[in-house]
Amino acid sequence: MGEFKVHRVRFFDYMPTAIRAMAFNAHTERLALARMDGSVEIFNFTDHYFQEKVIPGKDSRSTESLCWVGGRLFSAGLNGEITEYDLENLRPKYSLEAYGGPIWTIISNTQGTQLAIGCEDGTVKLFEVLEEHIQFERNLDRQKGRIISLSWHPSGTHIAAGMMDMIRVFDVPTGHAVQRLLVDRGFGGSKSQETVVWSVAFLSDHTVVSGDSAGKVQVWDGHTGTLVKTHLVTKWDVLALSVSKDESSVVAGTSEGTVIQFQFIAPTLHQQQDKEWVRTRTFKNHTHDVRALAEIETAIVSGGMDTHLVVRPLLEKFDENTEMAEITLAGFDSVLLFFPQRNLVSCAKKAGLLLFQFPGQLELWRLGDSDGHDGRNTVNIVDSFQTKGSDHICCSALSSCGGWLAYSTVSCVRIYRLQTDNNNISITKVSKLPKALRSAHQLCFSSDSSKMFAASSQSSVLVIALTQSECKYVHTLKPKSGQQPIHLMTTSVDGKWLAAANSDCEIRVYNLQKLKLHCIVPVYGSCPSAMGIHPTTNNMTVVHADQQLFEYSIVEKQYTDWSRKLQKQGLHNVWLDRDTPVTHVTFNPKNPNQVVLHDMHMFCIIDQSLPLPDQKTQFYNQMTLRSLSEQERPSHLHAFKICKTFQDLLCVSLLDDQSLVVVERPLLAITSQLPAPVRQKKFAT
Amino acid sequence: MHKMLVEKEVQPHRRSGLMTYRPKMAKKLLRKSPSSSNKFNSANMTDDFQLHLDSSDDDAPEEVTFEESKASALRSMKNALETSKREKDLLKEKRRKRQELFQEQKKRRLLPAHILEEIDTAPAKKQKLPGDQAESNHEEASCSWEEGREGSKEGYEKETKKGFKGNIRSLKGNYSVMRVADQSSTNSQQQTAMDFIQARLYGPGSQRTTNNELLSLENKRGPNKSAAMQFVNKKWGTEKKAKAEKLKKQWIQKQKVPSS
Repeated sequence: MGEFKVHRVRFFDYMPTAIRAMAFNAHTERLALARMDGSVEIFNFTDHYFQEKVIPGKDSRSTESLCWVGGRLFSAGLNGEITEYDLENLRPKYSLEAYGGPIWTIISNTQGTQLAIGCEDGTVKLFEVLEEHIQFERNLDRQKGRIISLSWHPSGTHIAAGMMDMIRVFDVPTGHAVQRLLVDRGFGGSKSQETVVWSVAFLSDHTVVSGDSAGKVQVWDGHTGTLVKTHLVTKWDVLALSVSKDESSVVAGTSEGTVIQFQFIAPTLHQQQDKEWVRTRTFKNHTHDVRALAEIETAIVSGGMDTHLVVRPLLEKFDENTEMAEITLAGFDSVLLFFPQRNLVSCAKKAGLLLFQFPGQLELWRLGDSDGHDGRNTVNIVDSFQTKGSDHICCSALSSCGGWLAYSTVSCVRIYRLQTDNNNISITKVSKLPKALRSAHQLCFSSDSSKMFAASSQSSVLVIALTQSECKYVHTLKPKSGQQPIHLMTTSVDGKWLAAANSDCEIRVYNLQKLKLHCIVPVYGSCPSAMGIHPTTNNMTVVHADQQLFEYSIVEKQYTDWSRKLQKQGLHNVWLDRDTPVTHVTFNPKNPNQVVLHDMHMFCIIDQSLPLPDQKTQFYNQMTLRSLSEQERPSHLHAFKICKTFQDLLCVSLLDDQSLVVVERPLLAITSQLPAPVRQKKFAT
Repeated sequence: MHKMLVEKEVQPHRRSGLMTYRPKMAKKLLRKSPSSSNKFNSANMTDDFQLHLDSSDDDAPEEVTFEESKASALRSMKNALETSKREKDLLKEKRRKRQELFQEQKKRRLLPAHILEEIDTAPAKKQKLPGDQAESNHEEASCSWEEGREGSKEGYEKETKKGFKGNIRSLKGNYSVMRVADQSSTNSQQQTAMDFIQARLYGPGSQRTTNNELLSLENKRGPNKSAAMQFVNKKWGTEKKAKAEKLKKQWIQKQKVPSS
């Protein structure tokens, strides 16, 4: 494997934002997640929970609720606006002011024709969903308190609204409130505080299930307006509810971080027992409040203030026939998704500079010399945004010579020229940018820093030529058919090839000298999560979200022999069981056989000259190899060398001087900066 | 110590001809202080008590005619009414005087009338421009609700632009023209909503603790018991530390200067 000097970087203060709302689209199997900073992420649940798309947030936008209507995504927030998102261009399509004050919740009916929002001023407003936009229809009867949560009856005729101290059931055609369900206040000291009904669910047999701030989950009869059952589940608030598709199970998320499941079953085994809602299981996967919950067919997805998304598979939903079983049989535990599956760190290999991307700013750091003295110069550029509307940064890039820096938001792209003289870095902004360069989903510099590539709408790539201090538009590489945005781009070291991958799992390779499409890599079912082009052989290594690894020869337009050998043998089970995708592929200039990859928990050096491991060999064999003698070692070596010394990795990169840069972000450091959790008294502490 | 027994009240409504019977009171009770006599609220009664002071305990009770007692009762009632009326009038007077005082103070604070008139006419026109636009567009928007809100929204945008281009006037006083879009988007309603949610989840009564505590508990109860996450609060005494740093730097500078 070789010895490397390691720059261990822990000063990237990356803080993820809390999850506020989520919505699952059963048709397309996509989960949309809204975070507190206004960003929206789309996860593909058929593809190993891969984070397909990220729409960056905005300082002034705060999302409270999300809702899918068909394939369209709508969100509503405290700024009083309903926003529809353009999922192909990764930006908000338009925002409609609802004139009801801050909006607390947005829901759609099962037919997909109407949207209802719950406002601060006590009105429930109905909007009609039209082809390209939405249109206000009417208000339901105005109430004297804020409307915190809404739920539509599956038939579309009634809406249940959770307010302060009560739940109202509205009849949609007339707009009148037909039922009033009074919610009790809490015990003891909280009797003086109003109970907030944080969440309601309306089932098709007119049962209303509500979760409130006194910690109760109550089951009501919607026809008569009476309380059927109360379950006191926690001392704190019940913040979220979600109903399964077949309405046999309801999950509730609390401030303690627990998710409690209620099922509609007969409580005892007598034949003639009536079914009722019984509390069955409790899952504790979070340390802080659970604010967003979704029960999908085979799993419970929860997210909250501790910023990670947890997918908890439900074992009883798996039969032997389902396909999912084959994929997740080995990993029946919860899947925790912590870090974004994109690169937030750019490394300039020749200059030893690191660029950290935050939502509102970028930080540029210089790594010290390899004789162990890390002199860190920080140059904070773009500290606070004066750009239009304080948009968050979408993507950023640093050229490998360290002379150019670029970032993009949804509305603009900025390019900066860096000049370093000994210890000072001067940054000058490039003023005149080509008009075609409006915003980019991905940015990439060529290795000689003469060109910059910007991925823009409809899978096209803009080629910008960089001269001493200005940029000129050269060409647009536009594919014939391509709708989805590009999320990965990489260039070859010799400047001849550019590879771009989009969310449709299409990878296109362009010839940069002729500026046209060279070939399209055969489409594999899973989305690529990392790509890299070898410096000398121009073989492209692609790792997918399901942990499959391919090597494609660009010159020959076919898979390499090594790749075929690997596919024939199959990857080791331990490799396939990993639950975080590989996010970066890089190469060792001194050893052309080596490919360096990393995911969140490990980094791996694949040595192509060594034999591949079969299913029976021990995969993590570095420790055992060390204990073996020199003669025994060669027989036990295999190609995948895994190192788990560094944890919670954000980036692993090799600099030109053979030193390894490891950017870690310890999860403990993130946890210690989260908002306050609830105080739980444990015995003997 | 005075023991006060409550005297039986004389009933004003009695059948005529009946003799009233006034019970004898112990001599101690008759030593009344002036304040206590107000309680009973009739000068008459005290007179009667005075008369009794002289008589002894063994005499038969005195005869008092019905008319007498009726008259005394009526008098006492009249007095009571009069005093209450007087009190009400006094209060009214007080209130009126206070009101006048406030009016005067208010007048004193406002600018003289003619300046107010001037200011009213001039900026009313200018401020009505953006205000008017917003109002008129809001009206437009609200009445063309059914037509389609998109259309009205576009119209609103266009009108504001037109409005500003067409009317450029000089403004008197401290006024400035601002676009609505430039102002901070967190208006008061949004702020109230955010405060509400913050207060419900993290406000008083929410029983929250720190992350340090949470992680320390995990350490304590985990399989390998270890210490709390953070013993020392690094934020303690930050000002003092900053001061100390400054002084240290200054001292180092001083040391350098004489030596160089």
